[in-house]
Amino acid sequence: MMKKLIMCCLFGFLICCSSLSFSAETSDGSILPELLLPAPENQSFRDYLGLDVAAGEMFKLSDIKTDLLIIELFSMYCPYCQKEAPLVNEFYEKIKQGPVKGVTIKIIGLGASNSQFEVEHFADTYDVQFPLFADKDMSMYNALGGKGTPGFVGYKLKGAKEPVNILRNSGGFYTTEDFIQDIITNSGL
Amino acid sequence: MKHLLKIVCHLLFFCWVLTPGYSKNVTKLDYIYDPGQLKPVDSQLKVAPGDPAPEFSLPSIGGHRIALHQFQGTKNVVLSFVPAAWTPVCSDQWPGYNIAKKIFDEHNAVLLGITVDNIPTLHAWTTQMGTLWFDVLSDFWPHGGVASAYGILRSDGTAERALIFIDLRGVITKVIVEDINVRPELEDVVVGLKTLDSH
Repeated sequence: MMKKLIMCCLFGFLICCSSLSFSAETSDGSILPELLLPAPENQSFRDYLGLDVAAGEMFKLSDIKTDLLIIELFSMYCPYCQKEAPLVNEFYEKIKQGPVKGVTIKIIGLGASNSQFEVEHFADTYDVQFPLFADKDMSMYNALGGKGTPGFVGYKLKGAKEPVNILRNSGGFYTTEDFIQDIITNSGL
Repeated sequence: MKHLLKIVCHLLFFCWVLTPGYSKNVTKLDYIYDPGQLKPVDSQLKVAPGDPAPEFSLPSIGGHRIALHQFQGTKNVVLSFVPAAWTPVCSDQWPGYNIAKKIFDEHNAVLLGITVDNIPTLHAWTTQMGTLWFDVLSDFWPHGGVASAYGILRSDGTAERALIFIDLRGVITKVIVEDINVRPELEDVVVGLKTLDSH
């Protein structure tokens, strides 16, 4: 009887452990959709993304010069995104310093159902220093398989024939260190 | 054996308590009841720019009553009616305004959020939005009385998604009755606020 009870407890323990890994960031290996965005007006943003196009010209996400690209799916109207903004800024500050363990990571944000004005208001309010883009009709959010905001999707641009998904996270993250570590681990770089 | 069982139980408990992701991964979608696509507008407006704004006094989630006339001569007023708590679009709209206080301040305007829900519901709903800088009022009883006075009470008892801009004199300068399924853009609010500046 006691043995059975212990076995049940151990089983529960394993279930809990599996839920730990389930709630961590996952990836699905899908290919980055061919999405076009207008190059930012701000020259420093174009430099950050490594774009060799004029402001307003369209570029593909895969044109961004980085090993790993993280896309934050947010909305100016989402209170959870507002709460998450300082942590995302902290994440950006850490990855902008240079390669982490030899891996370059860059981030952009897509304002789901937001106008350009709303995206700019969000950037001003939270002093966001990385490029944010409006996705008014949510076409990019949908193409990227968004499931609520905030959310994060990540793609490996380096070394793969086509940019492949390495991160799919509905909700926020806990610490920038763990988030970066998960991203690098998932990428296999 | 009992000792071992105790240890395993403790492990289980801590695992359950410390499991990350649950609260962090809760997004707005988790709480919201989606009624689907609704008739865009389902009421007949009773006010227009140039009209005196119908007076009202409503209870707020702050525990006090707020009357429109108390702002006359000192503040412009923006009434933001939203259809119902815990529904899509509505649950987004006010959190957006919550980070736009500066824009309202620039036009010497206060924002009053109004729904036909009761105070306990509004309390629970707005608490998960964080701390709101503006007052939220309940037009619950007599049900939708204020919404009805403005001509924005829908046939199902909810309010339209509407913005009413009222100047220092208590005169309406702009009315926006948006498609209930669509959130007005922040630019629309700015355009409305500009109509208040001439008085």
